[in-house]
Amino acid sequence: MTSTTIGILQRGRRLRRGWRRAMIGGLLALLAVCFLLALMLGQSVTPPADVLRVLLGGDVAGASFTVGQLRLPRAVISILAGMCFGMGGAAFQVMLRNPLASPDIIGISAGASAAAVFAIVFLSLDGASVSGIAIAAGLGVALLIYALSFKGGVAGSRLILVGIGISAMIHSFIAYALARAPAWDLQEAMRWLTGSVNGARLDQAGLLLLVLLVLGGLLLARSRDLEMLRMGDDVASALGVRVGMTRMTVILGAVGLIAVATATTGPIAFTAFLSGPIAARVVGSHGSVLVPAALVGALLVLTGDYAGQFLLPGRYPVGVVTGALGAPFLIFLIIRANRTGGTL
Amino acid sequence: MTVDHQLSVTELTAGYGGTPILQGLNLDLLPGQITAIVGANACGKSTLLRVMSRLLRPDAGQVTLDGGSIHRMPTRALARVLGLLPQSPVAPEGITVADLVSRGRHPHQGLVSRWRRTDDEAVAAALDATRMSDLADRSVDELSGGQRQRAWIAMALAQDTDLLMLDEPTTFLDVSHQIELLDLLCDLNARRGTTIVMVLHDLNLAARYADHLVALRHGQLLVQGPPEDVLVERTVHQVFGLTSRIVTDPVSGRPMMLPIGRHRTRAESP
Ligand SMILES: Nc1ncnc2c1ncn2[C@@H]1O[C@H](COP(=O)(O)OP(=O)(O)OP(=O)(O)O)[C@@H](O)[C@H]1O
Ligand SMILES: [Mg+2]
Repeated sequence: MTSTTIGILQRGRRLRRGWRRAMIGGLLALLAVCFLLALMLGQSVTPPADVLRVLLGGDVAGASFTVGQLRLPRAVISILAGMCFGMGGAAFQVMLRNPLASPDIIGISAGASAAAVFAIVFLSLDGASVSGIAIAAGLGVALLIYALSFKGGVAGSRLILVGIGISAMIHSFIAYALARAPAWDLQEAMRWLTGSVNGARLDQAGLLLLVLLVLGGLLLARSRDLEMLRMGDDVASALGVRVGMTRMTVILGAVGLIAVATATTGPIAFTAFLSGPIAARVVGSHGSVLVPAALVGALLVLTGDYAGQFLLPGRYPVGVVTGALGAPFLIFLIIRANRTGGTL
Repeated sequence: MTVDHQLSVTELTAGYGGTPILQGLNLDLLPGQITAIVGANACGKSTLLRVMSRLLRPDAGQVTLDGGSIHRMPTRALARVLGLLPQSPVAPEGITVADLVSRGRHPHQGLVSRWRRTDDEAVAAALDATRMSDLADRSVDELSGGQRQRAWIAMALAQDTDLLMLDEPTTFLDVSHQIELLDLLCDLNARRGTTIVMVLHDLNLAARYADHLVALRHGQLLVQGPPEDVLVERTVHQVFGLTSRIVTDPVSGRPMMLPIGRHRTRAESP
């Protein structure tokens, strides 16, 4: 009897694992194709052979500038920042068992963005020091929300409501800071409000890659415990998970990812919020959602930026496109919570 | 047979946010026995289980396992000895029964170690014991309340601990599944010597299946002992404020409580 059940278990696991691998492979392939297309397409079309030669360091008349200087930095930063947003957002959503508990909704991205604006406008800093300040601010906001909503345990919906309030306050600060900086143009302002890869430079990639490796690696190392938190604090802890410690590690890692990406591209609207749920739909709820969410995040930013530049009438920063995608999903979640009588 | 573990609660005071729920409670769990905790709603039964399984820190006093404070033991090591099924757990969205039950193996897996044959065996045995094997690939969201409860019980069984605490495991179960579950726990206790502690609302089932009854009132231990000593009219009145008659259960020979309300008694009818 047990042996037949073992058979059922193994078959089910093989199926789900196979599906998951296929889907992750599919996402990777899709990302590779989109990356190539982003390098080929634009105002003019560059043939793949020329793109390849430029990538390998060759000098191609006409293509070296458009591909090497314009398209490549944009595409690379889009992918890396998208991965940071996707993974960081999904980690928060899993940890708090609620898709609304995403850093871009509860004010953590806004905090990092405000700190970046502050560092640039008032302190005239740039580069890694801006990222450092953004991380500190992101963590500060995360801990503030945590402390304000802590009442003998963290309740998801209280945390979300507190976060939304704080997010609104921080947005008004960003608007104020932007108003105080008359030298800035609309492009720059948009970057800090909704996120944009317009100013992307290849030298920004190093830092993003580093945090992805270090903090992303940290999150992946804890992904099994993180996954257990979905069972609820009591069950997780009865099954031997150190809940408080896991939560702190996840907050640290996820906020770091979000903050560094935000310091580079601004808070690309709703990318953190959308990636996890989309990834979960695609790969199923077997195993950790972190890696697929990172891939979905990269796809969202990459394709969103392309759409904002070339597919829409006029040119819009990527945050406007992802924002337009995210808003209906947000409304859907709230309506669903209302219908099922659930909490936020 | 497993090693007998001794879990003791001494001078325990615990509660939420400063308001004590349990006060000055002393309790030694009998190793290798089945203990049922009974008491009125909100008297602190779940709170006691949560403190005893280190989900809640005591404000004063301590809980020890084999002499050492459980709040100082490594979480994972403790989870291999002591399992707890809380009162109303919530399953993650979209998770399958097999996946849920497999998570009971979490404490047995190292940080890097892979899923092993023994893990599969434990999960399969738990699914079989709870008659959930046929539903293994179903999503937990799509189960009935009783099936869901059995999936959770299977998860607790897969954890394979010497000490198992269950908070109202029979809720949502129909009468035959209630008996089946209690029989299953008895088997576990008899075959492996698992120490079982459960909160039960049905006094008659508690008296029938438990070796030892613990009656709580307002966060304090009122009486404990074998069912014959605890399930008496005076105690039922003290704990529940209910008049009753105790008879001998013709099936088990254990005491059985018949509640006496204001209506539907022989004296009432002409
Ligand atoms: N998380 C919590 N925060 C604050 N108070 C709580 C919490 N959980 C329980 N309480 C309170 O503690 C008291 C005891 O609750 P407990 O859950 O231990 O009761 P119980 O005996 O298990 O009741 P029931 O039979 O209804 O399950 C109740 O008054 C309850 O309101
Ligand atoms: Mg209870």
